Formats: sequence, C-alpha cells, structure tokens
Amino acid sequence: MKATRTTMLLLVPACAAFVLLLVLPLLNIVNESFKFFEPGRVGSAEDAPYTLLNYSELFSAAYFNYYLTTFRLGFLASTIALAIGFPMAYVVARMRWELGRKLSIGFLIALMFLSVLVRVYSLELTFGAVGVLRPVLRFLDISQNDRTYTEWVVIAGLLHYIIPMSALTLVGTIQNVNPRLAEAAMSLGAARWKAHLSVTVPLSIRGILSAFLISYTLCISAFVVPMVLGKGRVLFVSNLIYNRFSEIANYPGGSSLSVMLLVVSLLIVYLISRISIRRWEGG
Amino acid sequence: MAKRHGDDIAVCLVALVLACTLIFLVVPIIISAGMSFDARPYLAPFPPPDLSLQWYERFFSDPYMLRGLRTSLVLALTATCVSTAIGTVTAFVIDRYEFRGKEVMTAFFLSPLVVPGVVVGFALLLFLSFVGVFEGFARLLAGHVIITIPYTIRTTLAGLVGIPPSLSEAALSLGATERQAFWDITFPLAKTGIVAGAVFAFAFSMDDVAVSMFLTDPTTYTLPVALISMMRANFDLSIAAAALLLIGVTLALILVLDRVVGLDKVIGQGIYRG
Repeated sequence: MKATRTTMLLLVPACAAFVLLLVLPLLNIVNESFKFFEPGRVGSAEDAPYTLLNYSELFSAAYFNYYLTTFRLGFLASTIALAIGFPMAYVVARMRWELGRKLSIGFLIALMFLSVLVRVYSLELTFGAVGVLRPVLRFLDISQNDRTYTEWVVIAGLLHYIIPMSALTLVGTIQNVNPRLAEAAMSLGAARWKAHLSVTVPLSIRGILSAFLISYTLCISAFVVPMVLGKGRVLFVSNLIYNRFSEIANYPGGSSLSVMLLVVSLLIVYLISRISIRRWEGG
Repeated sequence: MAKRHGDDIAVCLVALVLACTLIFLVVPIIISAGMSFDARPYLAPFPPPDLSLQWYERFFSDPYMLRGLRTSLVLALTATCVSTAIGTVTAFVIDRYEFRGKEVMTAFFLSPLVVPGVVVGFALLLFLSFVGVFEGFARLLAGHVIITIPYTIRTTLAGLVGIPPSLSEAALSLGATERQAFWDITFPLAKTGIVAGAVFAFAFSMDDVAVSMFLTDPTTYTLPVALISMMRANFDLSIAAAALLLIGVTLALILVLDRVVGLDKVIGQGIYRG
C-alpha cells in the first residue's frame, strides 16, 4: 500500500524518540569531544575553545594499555567461544530427539537471558577470594592477585554470555548445511573430524564469521564484567569512559573515547552486514 | 582401523570439552543459589553447613535494595509499555506501507543495538543535563526506552512478515474501515511478535547497568545499579538472594516466551534436520 500523510504521522513518535534520545545526544558528544578541558572543572566551559587535544590524547601511552586489554581479551574470548560454540551448536542442530533439542535450546536461551549481575556474582563466588577453586589455586600456587589470573576471570565472565550466544547463532547456520555432504566425505574414506573440518566448517564459514564478529562487538563494549571481575586491575575502554565521567568529570575526554568506541563498533557491524549481504547474493 | 581410532579420540575430546563447558556455565550459578541459603552470618566457603533464609530476610529488610527493586519494576514496566506502543505502530507502518527511504529508516531504527551501552548512557547524560532534565526517573526512562525500542520493532516486524496483507485487504474490500481492519485482523495476528518484543524489552530494561549507571541520582536508582555498588563495597550474600530472585524472573520470562512464540521459533527451524 502507498503511504498517505496520516500513516506517515504514525512514524512521528519513533522518529522523535530517536532524534531526541539518540541522534542529538550523539552529535552533542561529538561536539563535546572537540572542546578544551581544564582539569578541575566539571565538564568543559561553555565558551571553551575547540581543540584536537582530546583526540591526540587517545594515542597516549597511558591509554594504550586499555585498548590492548580490551581488544586482546575480547579476541581471546570470541575465539574460545567459537571453538566451543561450534561443536555445541552441531550437537543441538543434529539432535534427533525432539524434546532434548527443545530443552537444549531453552537452556541456551535461559543462559542468554540471565542477568549479567547473576553471572558476575556467581563467577566471583566461584573464582574469587572465598571461591570453590581456592584450594585448587593454592595447590597450583596461583595467586588470586595475579594479573594473568584476573584476566582469565574476566575472559570467563565474557564467555559465560558469548558461548550460549554463539552456539545459538550457529545452530541456525548448521541446520542449513546438508548433513549428507559430510557423510559423503566419510564414506569416501575421510575421518569424521576431517570430514567436518573440510566440509561442515567451510560451508558454515559465513555464520562462523558473523558469530565471531557479534561476540567481538559485545566483548569490546563490555562494562559490568570487567568492572566487577577485573577488580580495578583489568579495565576495558568502557570502564575508562565511566571513570572519566565519575572520577575526574572530564567530559570532553570521555566523549572522544566514546566516539572512538562507537566508530570501532560501527566498523565491525559494517563488516557483519557485508558478510550477510554476500550470503544472499552469492548463495 | 587407524581412522576409527582417531575418530574415537576426537569424539572423546569434543565431548570432554563440552562437558567442561556445561560445568563452567552451570556450576557457578548453582553455587550462588546454594550460598543464598547459607546460615552462617559471614561469607565462607561453599557448601553451606546449615540452611536458612536470613539473606532473603536481610535483602527484603534493606530499604536501599527495596527502593532499587521498586524503581526497577516501575521503570521496566513503563519503558516496556512505551517501547511496545511505539515499536508496534512503527513496525506496522514499515511492514504495510511503501515510502521512500524505508530501508534506511528500518536500519536506523535498529541502530541502538550496535551502540555500546556506555556510549548511550554517557551521551544521554550530557545531553539531558544540557537541555535541563535532571529528574532521575525521567532520565532513566529516556535511556531505557531508547535501548528497548529496537527489540520491540524487530520482533513485531518479524511477526508481521508472516501475515499476508491480503487478509486485511479482504476486510477493507468487505467494507471495514482501516482502523477496524487493523484492530480486528492485523493486531490479533501480530500479537505473538508484539508480546515477544515486550518480553525482550522488559528483560533488557531489568538487566541494564551500563546505561543506568550514568542516569541515576542519589534517590532514584535501579536494582542492578544498587547491587553493583554493593558488590564493589562488600561481597554480602544478600546479593546471592537477589541473584536467585533475578534467576526466577529470567525463568518466568522464558516460560512466557515459550508459551507465546515457542522457543524453537526464536532461532528458526533450518532446512536440514536430523
């Protein structure tokens, strides 16, 4: 149906909400990110001069560690999630037992819906100071104050969400791969693991890539997991943004960080969309 | 025979990894659920020797937590209503009508899904202070509406796609007004998608920390924000009690989702089965 003027009016609430609550605020931080910040103030002065300082600050050595932590731990977590999520999705997708299939999917969805607070709290109770693992750690002579240990606890926190997420994304992908193809490879003499590595995995490569990229965007914008499980020692870019705001009220600095994080996320999402568009075009 | 042998090892290895993963995903939750019934008055190693409900009593007698819980519930309900209303109307127009720039607009309406929560919260905080909105609940509502609308639009659109437009066109040609055709034909059929969207919106609103952290004021804060600040101060077990409550909310939402949509539909059936 062709839209009339009255039906277009129905789009007004959504457009108003998006312009007021998303577009203008984002434009405002872009503007703020170019303002000069005087330490000790709350935010920038109204007549503060425009400067590129907040952006050149992004390249300072002090910030570099935060990016490295964010992108490295995000990459590790997304890779592990994929390596575990793929076989998990395979088992669910090829399950012949209908109730078992339904229960597994329900289980994965429940894990995704689980509050992030429950996740971090439970993991802290398990891996933290009074955790169940404490005797094991003492036996292995691993200190809980060790930075590497804390990093792995943060990775565990990320994995707790992205393993079920990648598995669920990949169930759909694997269902669209014909199982007869891997069977054909096996009947021609390939070992089962080799048949899957050379047939099933390549055929679902687009799903695998987009699952990876979705996990990666979620990881690099993670906030609660590094804040609680990182214990102030392992911090992500999003925590840095929050600290700019809450500790030193450097709004221009927080803004340039936000713009950077937003641009990186949008780039990754652009990659995802390119991958899925090619899927429709190229079969 | 060598091939068989390699296969067995591979299968065993994968099974072992999956078993460990399941343990990793489930055991911490069981531990915190168990600890929430701990009778010891302090935080001590698992398992608790005696059981009691003291942490629940403490949670429900803590005015700070109760205030957060009340704000969270009111906020989640209000945000869900607003987002579902806006999302339904918008999805309906996008699905049924042709207009210029439709694709771009749809992408734009789904875009908050890709903006990091911290960025949304920080940007909204600066903007709302700039235009002079300082009231805590209004700020939180603004943040929660913008992060939940994409879910309501997306699921309602997915629900509408399955309904042939010929049904409401038939109603129109039989003399119904456009309004009647919407309320009697399209709306009842689209209910599944709308309810699923509302469930998602409620769940995300109840769970949000990143956006809310920026928008709270000393008297208006959500339960997750209260729990986070408590977690950073001391690791009290009444958080475990709250965690078990939140798990209850999650399970209730999953059941609603299964009843209304069917969990299988959430991820689709695929072409090849079994």
